[in-house]
Amino acid sequence: MNVEIKEVSRRFGRSPAVAGVSLEAGPGVLGLLGPNGAGKTSLLRMLATVLQPTSGTMRLLERNPSAYAERKEIRRRLGYLPQNLGYYPGFTVAEFVEYFALLKEMPADRIPAAVAAAVERVELGGRARAKLRTLSGGMLRRVGIAQAIVNDPELLLLDEPTAGLDPEQRVAFRELLRDIGQHATVIVSTHLVEDVGAACGDVAVMDAGKLVFHGTPEELTVRGEQGHGLGDAPLERGYSAVLIQARTAANLVEARG
Amino acid sequence: MSEMTTGGPHRDAVPPDVDLERVWTRVAAEVWQREPGRLERLVGRLLDAPGLARALVSTPSLLLPWVIASVVVLGVGVAATVGSGEPLVALLAPAVAAAGIAYAYGPGIDPAWELSLSMAVSDRMVLLARAVAVFAIYALLGLAATAASGATAAVTFGWLVPMTAVSALALAVATVTRSANAGVGVGLAAWCLTVLAGQASSGHLAVAVSDQSLFVYYAACAVICAAVVVHATRAPGGVR
Repeated sequence: MNVEIKEVSRRFGRSPAVAGVSLEAGPGVLGLLGPNGAGKTSLLRMLATVLQPTSGTMRLLERNPSAYAERKEIRRRLGYLPQNLGYYPGFTVAEFVEYFALLKEMPADRIPAAVAAAVERVELGGRARAKLRTLSGGMLRRVGIAQAIVNDPELLLLDEPTAGLDPEQRVAFRELLRDIGQHATVIVSTHLVEDVGAACGDVAVMDAGKLVFHGTPEELTVRGEQGHGLGDAPLERGYSAVLIQARTAANLVEARG
Repeated sequence: MSEMTTGGPHRDAVPPDVDLERVWTRVAAEVWQREPGRLERLVGRLLDAPGLARALVSTPSLLLPWVIASVVVLGVGVAATVGSGEPLVALLAPAVAAAGIAYAYGPGIDPAWELSLSMAVSDRMVLLARAVAVFAIYALLGLAATAASGATAAVTFGWLVPMTAVSALALAVATVTRSANAGVGVGLAAWCLTVLAGQASSGHLAVAVSDQSLFVYYAACAVICAAVVVHATRAPGGVR
């Protein structure tokens, strides 16, 4: 398993962002769904070793991220696209991707070809020498994806990767995800249920810091048929049914408590 | 995604056993490769870490405008020193260095800071390298300016200790508040208060950089601030 986390929690002050999440994931694409504030970004940041859990245990790529040397090794094999990725406006597309390849400690002789391949995979070859300040939001998002995949990661974490992409780009991106997911673990946080249906073999739903569903998109669809889900597409109804169920259960516990 | 550049108009004329994608990637790798500058190559060799060298030359405070601004400030200091007889370069250098150090830090200044937290080259190493580099540049500029203004060697080396303390304070505040502006503000304010307090107590403007009994306090301040920076970046990836 590339990701094994048990009872992982993270608090910011008194408010819990992630509350006792356990999750295992091997190669494949896992879609992480949930409303705003559900804890998706905090969970991804912990998986990216950017944020330390308050409690619980984590093993990533069969290593312990709290040990310095193992964390460094994880980071060499990790690809991460944060929700708010900042850019150096004076860098070109190729320079930006190369910079992060260097920080990932890729072997220097492999970097030029890896940069070229990553830039081509996000179809920015024609703009490789353009300054980042001249690119549109969608192109910048693709630059972010390119830096995430430049080291051919074994664990790829993408936080809202399709934000700013047009429909055609999103279709191409889903294809890229499926391709990478054949050999790596890809975890994609998104608001877009259709992205999950099209690209993910597994789906997890978070609400109020907890994991309230983990299964296949088909299983999520079935939950929509059984429950009282809202939405136009079957997967949307499954998603909303899971959320309604989770909140009803939480309210009951609160009322009893 | 309509700007794919592989292939081309003569693709059909290419023998089927030629992998055009691979050929293009090799060409692109050659064409897009960025030749590191002299400074970056030198640092890369010295540190044996090309990633750290790139991070170092990418810091805002090492960009040309910063160096030019520093040269201008210290140049004005030289002129004023010559005119007034007060060692103003020594008094200016700590404040200018503090600003550079605060702007060498990530949060709020480094646009890709969140991403750099997840990199194999540790953010603390990047921070340390940037701080040392900024300090070294300002130390060199300050030395040159002091030599030009004809100040004594004691004053030349005298401002290095307060410069360390004020820079460490600016870095600590920038680290804790995640705001370079706050770091600069506190560093400058603290240094101004120190200079003014020295003048009020002794009647000499330069006492803050010439009274060696103050150096113990500067050193203590630098150590405490360094400890604060280490503490604030202790978690994996550092700050929240």
